[in-house]
Amino acid sequence: MKALIKAEIFKLLRQSKTWYALAALLMIEGVILFSAYFQGKNILDILLDNLKKSFYFEGTLLNGNLLVYLILNTLWFHLPLILMIIVSGSLTAEYKDRTLQTIMLQPVSKWKFILSKYIVAIGFTLAVVGMLALTSFTLSYGLFGKGDLIVYLNTLNFFPSGDAFVRLQYAFVSGALSMVFFSVASLTLAVIFREATKTWIVSSLFLILSNLLLKVDFGDTIFNRVFFAKLNDTWQNFFYFNINWTLVYTNSLLLCGYSLLFMAIGILLFHKKDIG
Amino acid sequence: MRWRLLLWGLLYLPASRAQGIDPDLLKIKNRMDSIVQFSASLKLNVDVSFINMPAKYARMSYTKGKPLKFSSEDFVMIPKRGLDFSLNSLMEFPFITVPRGEEIRNGKTYKAINIIPTDKRADFSIAMLLLDIKNNRVAETEINTKKDGTYNLLLQYENSSKVLPSLVEVNFEIEKIRIPLNFMGKDTDIDRKKMRTGGSKSGKIFLQISNYLIKYL
Repeated sequence: MKALIKAEIFKLLRQSKTWYALAALLMIEGVILFSAYFQGKNILDILLDNLKKSFYFEGTLLNGNLLVYLILNTLWFHLPLILMIIVSGSLTAEYKDRTLQTIMLQPVSKWKFILSKYIVAIGFTLAVVGMLALTSFTLSYGLFGKGDLIVYLNTLNFFPSGDAFVRLQYAFVSGALSMVFFSVASLTLAVIFREATKTWIVSSLFLILSNLLLKVDFGDTIFNRVFFAKLNDTWQNFFYFNINWTLVYTNSLLLCGYSLLFMAIGILLFHKKDIG
Repeated sequence: MRWRLLLWGLLYLPASRAQGIDPDLLKIKNRMDSIVQFSASLKLNVDVSFINMPAKYARMSYTKGKPLKFSSEDFVMIPKRGLDFSLNSLMEFPFITVPRGEEIRNGKTYKAINIIPTDKRADFSIAMLLLDIKNNRVAETEINTKKDGTYNLLLQYENSSKVLPSLVEVNFEIEKIRIPLNFMGKDTDIDRKKMRTGGSKSGKIFLQISNYLIKYL
């Protein structure tokens, strides 16, 4: 199993598309940061407009913490898209190049092979989120400094700089669980569709539908609370003034459960399906 | 001749007295004007239903004839009214005072007066002050501004000898905004008019002032 994982990591790092994807992500991050700076000005203007009547402000809210928060808002759509392409590509490429048949001619267990792909996909996803967290904080703090974070979620919430930093870190961890879910789902879709283009289209559709359904309010129903699309917004809970930890833990566990379910389905299908 | 004098007295004397400036107010103003400079530590607590903000800390410094200065490592919201202890903003332009009798607050009796500006440049239309004439200081102020609604200030002092307050409660009106959830995300156009449907809310800010360093004339 270890050898399989090592081989998968080697393949992932050897393929040029992985590095193109990472470069693309860093580029996207840079563009988001740039646009977030201007978006931030507008947002602060709107948020503080009515307060200006009664208050003078001392200090600035257009700082690194606000920019990381704005990056997070945009990142969770672009990042899974690229992750899904890379992760699903790790299997579809093997189907296309017929290397899968060569591997299966070796004394390699099918379920172990696909499990190693899932493990590497999860590890890669976490590493990418970690890299983006590190670069987001470094760039934002480096260019715009630290300061209080203002967030509007039904109420105007102000967080001191230290508290904001902790909350943003939690948000990255929570967002990483969503990213893992999308990566796992895309690999399962690759098991089902085998062909790269079809898998990418279906994966993109899956992501877009998830994002659309996230905004649909299904009322106060259990479905609204446990449906996987609804769980991808869990990271926002860290920006309510009082964090609902029960909800965060429940959503995170559910998301892990969905990821395991998709993984189990993928392993089962891969095991049953004929490689040829 | 006597009738004429009586008529003049009845007609003009109350008006001329009303249009003067209350002597107790002038006494308090003079006492405040004896402060050339002061600095103090400030703790601000905001109590507005749609704002969650932890306590904020700042330093404030005042030099006579100059606006108050604030410095803080945090982002702080300083109320536009409530920290003008010198009463300069109320007396910047010509005004008259009108006595309004006495008012009782927490068992204490205060002298109530109205300040009415006679100059259009004043940014308030009328102000009501409760004067603690025994201790020569202001206990409460209600300012009706022309643009920013009404401010009500309650001032508390550490003891009877203090000239500057240790606790100021500022009550004000504020417009609630409604912004769509996740508006900070992509592709969101914000209609400011639509957002302002929350109506007007009242807010409070508590200012705890300590470590005064006062320099007198």
